[in-house]
Amino acid sequence: MTIHEKDIPQKTDFTVVGKSVKRSDTLEKVTGSAVYAGDIALPGMLHGKIKRCEIAHAQIKRIDTSKALALKGVKAVLTHENVPHVLHYGSPHPRSASCTKDQYIFDHRVRYWGEGVAAVAAVTEEIAEEALHLIEIEYEPLPAVFTIEEAMKPDAPLIYDNGLDHNNVLPPVVVRRGDIDKGFAEADLILENEFDLGRPTPAYMEPNVCVTQWDGNGKLTIWSSTQTAFMVRGALAEVLGVPLNKVRVVVDHMGGGFGAKQDLFQHEFLCALLARETAKPVRMEYTRKETFLGGRSRHPGKIWLKQGFTKDGRITARQARIVFNSGAYGSHSPGVTNVGTAAMTSLYRCENVDLEGRAIYTNTPIAGAFRGYGVVQTYFAIDLQVDEAAERLGFDPAEFKLKNAVREGDIAPSGHPIVGHGLEDCIRRGIEESDWVNVRKTSGGSGVKRRGWGIGCEMHGSSAYPGIKEQGNAIVKMNEDGTVTLLTGTAGLGTGAHTALSQIVAEELGVPFESIGVVQGDTDVVPWDIGAFASHTTYMGGRAAQIAAADVKRQVLSHAAPLLEAEADQLTIEGGVIRVTGTNRSMTLKDAVAPHRGIPAIQLVGVGTYTPTKSYSFGAHFVEVEVDTETGEVAVLQVIPVHEIGKVVHPIAAAGQIEGGIQQGIGHTLSEDYVIDLTTGRSLNPSFVDYKMPLSMDMPPIRTIILETAPDPGGPWGAKGVGEDPIIAIGPAIANAIHDAIGVRFHHYPITPENILDALRETTKEA
Amino acid sequence: MKSFDYHEPKSLEEASSLLAELGKPASIIAGGTDLLVEIKEELRAVSHVVNIKRIAGLDWKSWDPEKGLRFGTLVTAREIETWPAVVKHYPNLRTAVSLLGSIQVRNRATVVGNICRASPSADTIPPLIADGAELTVYSNAGERVIPVEELFTGPGKTVLVPGDIVTGIHVPAPRARSGRAYIKHGRRKAMELATVGVAVSLERDGDTCADIRIALGAVAATPIRARTAEALLRGRSLDDDTLAAVAETAMQESTPISNVRASAAYRREMVGVLTRRAIGMAMGGIQ
Amino acid sequence: MKLIVTMTVNGEERELAIPPSRTLLDVLRNEGGLTGTKKGCDVGDCGACTVMMDGKPVNACLVLGIEAEGTVIETIEGLQHAPDRPHLLQEKFMEHGGSQCGFCTPGIVMMAKALLDENPDPTDDEIRFALAGNICRCTGYTKIIDAVRATAETMRTQ
Repeated sequence: MTIHEKDIPQKTDFTVVGKSVKRSDTLEKVTGSAVYAGDIALPGMLHGKIKRCEIAHAQIKRIDTSKALALKGVKAVLTHENVPHVLHYGSPHPRSASCTKDQYIFDHRVRYWGEGVAAVAAVTEEIAEEALHLIEIEYEPLPAVFTIEEAMKPDAPLIYDNGLDHNNVLPPVVVRRGDIDKGFAEADLILENEFDLGRPTPAYMEPNVCVTQWDGNGKLTIWSSTQTAFMVRGALAEVLGVPLNKVRVVVDHMGGGFGAKQDLFQHEFLCALLARETAKPVRMEYTRKETFLGGRSRHPGKIWLKQGFTKDGRITARQARIVFNSGAYGSHSPGVTNVGTAAMTSLYRCENVDLEGRAIYTNTPIAGAFRGYGVVQTYFAIDLQVDEAAERLGFDPAEFKLKNAVREGDIAPSGHPIVGHGLEDCIRRGIEESDWVNVRKTSGGSGVKRRGWGIGCEMHGSSAYPGIKEQGNAIVKMNEDGTVTLLTGTAGLGTGAHTALSQIVAEELGVPFESIGVVQGDTDVVPWDIGAFASHTTYMGGRAAQIAAADVKRQVLSHAAPLLEAEADQLTIEGGVIRVTGTNRSMTLKDAVAPHRGIPAIQLVGVGTYTPTKSYSFGAHFVEVEVDTETGEVAVLQVIPVHEIGKVVHPIAAAGQIEGGIQQGIGHTLSEDYVIDLTTGRSLNPSFVDYKMPLSMDMPPIRTIILETAPDPGGPWGAKGVGEDPIIAIGPAIANAIHDAIGVRFHHYPITPENILDALRETTKEA
Repeated sequence: MKSFDYHEPKSLEEASSLLAELGKPASIIAGGTDLLVEIKEELRAVSHVVNIKRIAGLDWKSWDPEKGLRFGTLVTAREIETWPAVVKHYPNLRTAVSLLGSIQVRNRATVVGNICRASPSADTIPPLIADGAELTVYSNAGERVIPVEELFTGPGKTVLVPGDIVTGIHVPAPRARSGRAYIKHGRRKAMELATVGVAVSLERDGDTCADIRIALGAVAATPIRARTAEALLRGRSLDDDTLAAVAETAMQESTPISNVRASAAYRREMVGVLTRRAIGMAMGGIQ
Repeated sequence: MKLIVTMTVNGEERELAIPPSRTLLDVLRNEGGLTGTKKGCDVGDCGACTVMMDGKPVNACLVLGIEAEGTVIETIEGLQHAPDRPHLLQEKFMEHGGSQCGFCTPGIVMMAKALLDENPDPTDDEIRFALAGNICRCTGYTKIIDAVRATAETMRTQ
């Protein structure tokens, strides 16, 4: 089976791609001139605020907004009684099986503590805030459930009536291959564990924010911090009942998203409605606390996993039951459940699999899309159990993982055959770089502080295929002085995507990087885009840009051919100069396309559309930790991440993705957990003081290694994604390193100091 | 942030009258790093903010080997952190201030403000209690001196009444053969509220511990002294068994709560571990 | 009620009418039109609003606008020597990939400047200590440390 139309072009003489050029977005960022949505200020602009409920599940009996409306400076108040009651998708994208359609702007019912129930627009933020206190609400409490166990009980209250029982968000996702019974029958060792998953949140630095304005012709412009501008446009148009050409979404710079800003948030609708109601521009910005309450976390939940192993180190059977806690709405639960469950078919080879994934509604904050999208959870479980199997069977864990690593030609979770030996290459290189065999000999001991090394592995797809048939688009225009303008719809959420796309265009066209200008983030101007997510921007958007560049190049060369008295196929462009192959005839690009006396400039517009399937990137993380056996503190001392991502377009930006993913992963594994009170549903730590992200002093040195050994024919010159990969392998690597240090295996995250001490006490008791 | 009236008295007398007149809804602002957060998060209802930074003579500081350390109420945490006298003679206080928020916070926050906020987890309080520090308090009724240890009546509560203004602090000079340490425990290396804070100041006489004060933060409604634990060590030699008994007793003297930051049991256990470690550090740091 | 406050911002004397409860951060962003200083948490936990006040780095969200009366404030916008000549720190942040989403960048650059003003030859640990109150969620700090270290090295050799 072949999945791609053609082989990778065997290009070796790169001039722009593969170089860490100065990113096109950073001058504005380092000088403070970059405009984020929250920086937009318009004449007469009002300020909006949301009132949030302090009850986990209730019917709204009565809302009285009269006192708020009477406050001087208040211009409008919205509740469920005066906003459109239109059911909409939790995430505007993708309108597919990946997301649920289960939200209203405001409902007459609240389903989690912190859900918005009313909104105010006033002349200052302070007045809007004061008005929130004047809104009186009477609730009729409903029974609430906070855990998946409670929510799945036969008599549990139904949080959402979607025709499914036991609060299921979607019908169970079932994946079966081979013969599971035969697999377990062949096994010499069977391991069975339940893994408990914490609730990390993306905690992007820029709180959700938007500014809205309606013009005199009834057209809405919204500046919003979103990864999916076109999807926001679609959802707003649908819910507000206006055509698409009456909604313009603008996203210039955005302060991080990590997946979660794919969702539609209440404030985007409310801000638009408040602006329409008041005929004034309105700005709405979440506080940090609201960014927790109204934001999206990774899915917590449980994974029951049972695997069979043979003495000679094969995995014969893998059976899993995954139950994700979706929170009060479905959001990306269908996508996360599908991707996370399907991922368990791979990573470490196993022919007999029996997997079932579920997502369950509870009265807790919403879980959504977040870097690693279900795979963080399921690979944590697989990798930890495989690590234990290696130990039990007398194998070195790195060797055991290498032995079982997914191979070229194996069927990936997407149904495609794996290209190249990416995972094997990563493990081998990490063994070398860490001096694995020797460092493992010095682990543990009996001191107060004990050190250990661990390895964790991962693979992750670029693009959301097969869940979604995606499409990347680009337009490349050549200006009459030979400079180039790239129009792309992909969001600049901080990864350097626009730089990478510009490098690809420059490489394809044979012009310097500096010749490329980017127009992006305006749905009225740029080609339609599906959004920035699924590690697909370079892979899919980059390929579309490459195709568009090739298109414009053809046009330029056919225009230049008569000028150079040659055929177009004899021409090349290098460094902005067109040359006739085999001759010394040449002319600059500028001369070729410039208007001449009496002849206007010609239109040179290239269009690129690319519909990708999927490629997989791979990674293995090697981690050293130190455990303080008296306090239970775990310090990560160093990380050696090895990633195989195909052709690297911008090495520094790629490494930046890896290092940032590791920071988030260290947090998820050791300290980050958004905690919900299990008696009230109240959020206990919606702040940066109590939601503990590792900071500058906590982060260890990271020695990043990037391999290009398994380029994928689907991406530009074999490039693949890297955004999500690094957050997946670090968790298991840390957990396995803790085991190496103190001999205890944990089956949950975050692993807290208290957990460490409790476990050490158990070990002492047993001994 | 909820609106409030703002006052800038020019003298202590004016400030004291104003505060006495306005009563509870008025709050002094010095550094403001706690107060503004409390107003923003609606943890405290404040309708008047009284800025004492325009009052002259509250930002002095002095060090004398006999008289010890003295500094005014407006001296920032960062000034204390980088003051050579503190670095040299009070490593406990130095550690505590250097772990209080970030440098940006410490450039505004004052040590006196950190004390007066009366948080059970305030970093500067345990070392100051262990060193026997005292506050000078101005009021139009007269000036008085209050030992830091006797200031607190509950979380966020002190013996101070409206009209009282702490003007400065005095930390006695380190005695000969004395050592001191503060250990802060949190999930991160910085930007933490202490889950447990242990300060130990001791004096050594040959092989025995001539005197010791142990102060604990974040394990009771106020910062506390572990007096029974101290008594076990006073006049005794520092062997492992005594240390273990001291640690165990300090644990028993603490009455921590469970919250999202840590469980009561874990906090209590850390009191034991960190008391032992702090005694070791204080011994090692004897000058 | 509004009060008139006079402060020097990036070398220019500004007279602004502000309510007493408005923070320096909001004053700079709204009344001052300087949106380079960012609001990430508004309670002093993230450092995105770091500005220099009389030469010292502070969280603008924890200072009242009126407290800035008579002070000298420097924000990220005032750091570059000229529109086309970024400060060396800014150059190094670009070169080393110290900025990804960029939201924390102004605060981190200002804090790094405060560090190098005081300590032109910091160790990596000293850089990490100085940046403890600046949250970056994108980079893992590695490339930020690289940028600050490289700035210090270049400054010493210039």
